[in-house]
Amino acid sequence: MPRKRALSGHARALLAALASAGPRWSYGYELSSLTAIRSGTLYPLLIRLEAQGYLEAEWQPPAGAGRPPRHAYRLTAAGRLLARAEAAGPDRQVAASGRRAGEAAS
Amino acid sequence: MSRPARLLAVRLMSAASRLLPARLSDWSRAMANELAAIADDRSALLFALGCLRAALSMAIAERFRSALYQLPTRSLAAMNSLSTRPRLLGLLCGVLAVGVGLAYLEAAGAPSRHLLVNFAALVLGATAWLALGRTAGSRLAGAGVAILALSVPLLLTARFGLAADGASRWVAIGPLTVQVSLILLPAMIILYARRPDPIGTAGIAAAAFALAIQPDRAMAGALAAALVAVALESRGRLPLLASAASVLAFAWTLVAPDTLAATAYVDSVLYTAFAVHPLAGAAVVAGAAALIVPAVIGLGRGMNDRPALLAFGACWSAVLAAAALGNYPTPLVGYGGSAVLGYLFSVALLPAAAREADARAPAAPVAAVRDPDPAPPELRAARPA
Repeated sequence: MPRKRALSGHARALLAALASAGPRWSYGYELSSLTAIRSGTLYPLLIRLEAQGYLEAEWQPPAGAGRPPRHAYRLTAAGRLLARAEAAGPDRQVAASGRRAGEAAS
Repeated sequence: MSRPARLLAVRLMSAASRLLPARLSDWSRAMANELAAIADDRSALLFALGCLRAALSMAIAERFRSALYQLPTRSLAAMNSLSTRPRLLGLLCGVLAVGVGLAYLEAAGAPSRHLLVNFAALVLGATAWLALGRTAGSRLAGAGVAILALSVPLLLTARFGLAADGASRWVAIGPLTVQVSLILLPAMIILYARRPDPIGTAGIAAAAFALAIQPDRAMAGALAAALVAVALESRGRLPLLASAASVLAFAWTLVAPDTLAATAYVDSVLYTAFAVHPLAGAAVVAGAAALIVPAVIGLGRGMNDRPALLAFGACWSAVLAAAALGNYPTPLVGYGGSAVLGYLFSVALLPAAAREADARAPAAPVAAVRDPDPAPPELRAARPA
């Protein structure tokens, strides 16, 4: 039985930002700036979304000399479904996704 | 540009990386590398601070989950370890019983002096427990002499002690009246069970005689029960002699009239506690039953040192039975410092770590395992080479 716990405002904002990026990869600081979610909240959310299969992450090569590689994120197909259902409204989201959406709530 | 802020941000991020669980190492690297993409030092510092907060909360959650997961295993290990340490288990059972007794005395409206006496006896007994533990190597060396010496106060009490209703079992020490047999006899029994020798046998016979002439039916019964158990277990000639003397003494006390009236908060506590509250009664019975737990668990686990555990269990079972059947002190859960001291002294003389009889050990040639020295290992260590 799907859990009916609603996502937190931060989780919804993050999903929306990632959904609007589409197939493009996003970075931690960029997401933090876009959503005004502080890093202390952002990373636990990213970690949870990835563990639940809504988010994929990859290491991208350095942009220039002396720069470290960056961790980049984008939604998986399940993540896009969840984001769409969330955008349509929390009640429809539970029925539509049938996934453990509530577990992503912070 | 503020270099110190950037340096601090790097330091904070490094601390965050150390805090995060190993399974999140990719994420700690992700956070750290993201710092390089933040041009503004103040923003970098705020970003690092946030990451440190996240790492801290995730580390705490991880530790908590891990502790919860390991709790049943650790509890079982602790209980398993405790069950092979009769001395420590006995101390804990004694503390529990005295605690229950203090709660009962308070609930029953006993004078605060009663509570103070029991508590002081607990502190004194626990101190003796500690002191005897530190002399583990030598405490059995003079067991026989100690038993003989301890029988003297019992004889003196029978002759010169305070008398009431034809029984002479007590000695006045300042404002306190103590029952000498309840303090000394359990310790004598454990010493004898661990090392029965001719001098100790003489001491036990003297103690039995003292209990017969006091007379003290409860403690004579405790002595007889414990020594019969020891004799049946060891089948030695000396324990048989000692048990015969104690059974005779007990029989003598059965013939002698015992008309002592019950004393409030001391005798019949196993029944009167139920009048205070059914829960108080149940707690008192449970606290009293806890007194024989070290013996029951030790014997149940097939420990060596069976004579000492049997003697301990039989002695305190008999004391409890006497308290249930007649006007005799209810040990530890009722008022009386003598029983508290007696219990803790006897517990202190139990083996510190009873060795489990290991049936899985490979069979060795008989000649190799036959041990010419029947003394316990700690005694051998104390002997000159």
